Amino acid sequence: MPLLSIFRKKTAQGCDYRIDRSHIKVGIPKFLNVWSTHRFWIGFLKALGIPAKNIVFSSDTSEEQYREFGKGRIGMDSCYPVKALAGHIGELLTTKKLDILLVPMIYSLPSFLKGHVMDTLSCTRVPMSVENIKAGFLKEGNEFEKHGVKFLNPFVSFAEPHLLPKQLYESLKEALDVTYDEVERAVREGLEELKRFDQKMRKKTREILEWCAQNNRPCILILARPYHMDPGIGHEIDAEFQSLGYPVVWGQYLPTDEDLMDWLFGADVEAGIIKSPFDISDVWTSSYSSNTNEIIWGAKFASRFPWITAVVRLSSYECGMDQPTYTPTQKIVEASGTLYFKFGDLDETKPSGSVKIRVETIDYYVKKYSPRIIERKLKRLEGRRVPGGFGE
Amino acid sequence: MEVVQEYRAYRPRPIKREERDKVTIVYGGLTWKHERLIQGALENAGYKAEPLPQIERRDLDIGKELIDTGACCPTTFTAGNLARFLKEKSEKEGKDKVKEGYAFVTIGACGPCRFGQYHESYERVLENLDFKDFRMFLLDLLQMEQNEGGIEITMPLTFGLIYSMFLGDLLTDMEYATRPYEVVPGETDRVLKDSIELLYQRLKERPQKGKKLGSLLWHVTTPYFANALKEVKELWDGVEVDRLRVKPRVKITGEFWLQTHEGDGNYNIKRWLEREGAEVIPPPIAVWMDYLIYMSLWRMEESREFVEKLWLKKAVVKLLLGLYHYTYNRLRKALNNIPNPLPPQEELRKLARPYFHHFLAGGEGFMLIGKALYAHLNKHAHMICELSPYGCMPNTMSIGAMQAVLGKHPDLLYAPIEVKGDAEVHALSRCQMILTEAKKRAQREFEEALERTGLTVEDIRNYEEDHPELKRATYKIPHYGYAGTSANYVVHVAKLMGRI
Repeated sequence: MPLLSIFRKKTAQGCDYRIDRSHIKVGIPKFLNVWSTHRFWIGFLKALGIPAKNIVFSSDTSEEQYREFGKGRIGMDSCYPVKALAGHIGELLTTKKLDILLVPMIYSLPSFLKGHVMDTLSCTRVPMSVENIKAGFLKEGNEFEKHGVKFLNPFVSFAEPHLLPKQLYESLKEALDVTYDEVERAVREGLEELKRFDQKMRKKTREILEWCAQNNRPCILILARPYHMDPGIGHEIDAEFQSLGYPVVWGQYLPTDEDLMDWLFGADVEAGIIKSPFDISDVWTSSYSSNTNEIIWGAKFASRFPWITAVVRLSSYECGMDQPTYTPTQKIVEASGTLYFKFGDLDETKPSGSVKIRVETIDYYVKKYSPRIIERKLKRLEGRRVPGGFGE
Repeated sequence: MEVVQEYRAYRPRPIKREERDKVTIVYGGLTWKHERLIQGALENAGYKAEPLPQIERRDLDIGKELIDTGACCPTTFTAGNLARFLKEKSEKEGKDKVKEGYAFVTIGACGPCRFGQYHESYERVLENLDFKDFRMFLLDLLQMEQNEGGIEITMPLTFGLIYSMFLGDLLTDMEYATRPYEVVPGETDRVLKDSIELLYQRLKERPQKGKKLGSLLWHVTTPYFANALKEVKELWDGVEVDRLRVKPRVKITGEFWLQTHEGDGNYNIKRWLEREGAEVIPPPIAVWMDYLIYMSLWRMEESREFVEKLWLKKAVVKLLLGLYHYTYNRLRKALNNIPNPLPPQEELRKLARPYFHHFLAGGEGFMLIGKALYAHLNKHAHMICELSPYGCMPNTMSIGAMQAVLGKHPDLLYAPIEVKGDAEVHALSRCQMILTEAKKRAQREFEEALERTGLTVEDIRNYEEDHPELKRATYKIPHYGYAGTSANYVVHVAKLMGRI
């Protein structure tokens, strides 16, 4: 029936949508580990027939958002990234005219370290924060119902991708009138989209690092949780360094190409200290937390890569996952002579003055010591095959 | 090319088999009762064992000085406690002797919560006190992280530890059910001490029956421990109680260490509540193990399409659960069922479901909400006191979720107490505000029971004179739908008198 088919919409794979969902508007708060999985959610919803224009993320975190939309919804004291969720939910609920508010409880994460570590779990607060903040919108009546919004908070474990279709189907089947097959296909699409984005970012980071090598310029590595990329959580401290002309890369998107891994970690693998370049058991034995594992691995990378001459650690006030890592991370980095600086106890207020003073100090040290650090780290790598883009 | 990195994670030297009688296993983190019983189980298995000293306020300051900033109070207290032990022992015996003669065993591997990373903080203690070659091992759910024959987790030792936990829990329940009503002050503590010593001896002298299957069969069928508890019951039979004292029942929930702890680490809040006129319902450690077993069952069901031989695996876990509950209840019975039964996990999960997903693991998970609702709806307690450590990641989340619970159940008396370790007055005054209302409820219930039965306090006193067994600490008062002990007691006496 060619005439009928023009009314049907197609997915990227050419499969028919069972029903039209192009009118459904879905809001997703941009909080915690949505920062590292947002591409999955876009790919997933698009594959179910929801157009990109109807997938709405909340704004970046800000004090204004927190005050205006989150006030009175928080019933405990925790780190700011959790409390900020109230502002994100409140903003979406009251300003975006949504049909569905999708706030995933992300229990575990996709990670390039999977298989090399004990687990890739989220911080326990990441999934729990959803139930916690949701309660603030229910305590004096159901605010979601009042706004005609369906609140969906699927429990999802990215570390067990085979469970994702079931977990999402159970949560979305009624609200989106989807079949299991549709969800299964959409999960595949979402994971592919996330993978493509991840590869693109790693490629981009490699280009930056190669540029540093070719121009013999120091680079600054930010070690933080993914949501410190949120200007309201990480307070754009990375941008302060960029404005001084430093290339800045984030630990989450460091390149993992084989040639580079062999250059940096080959000696450790050959010495039997680690089983693979992604093994962190030599420095961190309780490798359960995905973000923690990646921070630790990032520190190892920085300690070896010649042109990363300074590591800047960002950490939120009361971060229980970061707390036990402070000393190990610093020691891993400093053992190689690389400079290490930490901006700790970050909260809702941007401490602009003190950040500025510290950035100036860091700039002084990076300028002064980088040539020596690069030279020393290159010397340590002598004898190993230099990967393309990093040689003379 | 040289290997760049110089920093390495802490790796303890192994304990060799021939060192077993030279090295003392040090452990801590539980009540003095549980720790003494564990000592009996370890000594039975041929180890020298010694609990860490009881937690004191100064441990918090010592811990703060040695570990990374921002730690939760259980981490700080326990790290400081380990440090104090090492310092004090070194002063007495010399640093080298301590390094060679002691090994610290601690629990780890909890997953996403910081509890699984406590040892990182303990490593800072060892590092900063120049004890890096002191041996510390992680006990990962009954599996040693490192084992070269010096420490072996055998079937008999595993059962010894489980029974230590059960017996410690049951005696703790006896203690808290009795002390608020004891007629002779100090009697409960005296009998409790004697009971623990008796059980310590029984655990230490436990016969070795088989290695694996034989040991398993013996431990699940033997009357050895129930008989020991019958001896204990005789000690408690002599404790006289006055159950006409009207007291609000306060259920303690919260983060595992803080709720279990008895000491400065939680401002001694259980004793404080008793002094303020309450009867405390303590949290048994056995509930935590029960929760973990149920979680494994639910996880299996969640991924049922991907689990091979699901029916067999489920049957094994269900059998394990059956044996677990059977054993606990058999031991309770030996104490005339005075200790509380374990709360039903399925029911807790169901009650908590609208507010907290059961797979949100970390800390006590959904149990904090489930237990509060279960106690409230079934009238087991007048008030819930949730002990939450400052900086506790999972606990703060369930406290937030309790907002919705209180919206639906505004009559639930709930006191979430944040414990920093150094802000006692603030925490206790918060608790006191809710306790005042709980006291009023207990009094109203008691008066209602008297009115309903037509009895007076004098009538009951007269009846007690003729029936002195009612005044025994081991006399079981059934639950007649009141939260308070005294109200249930009134109804019970009325029934015995044929008044209702």
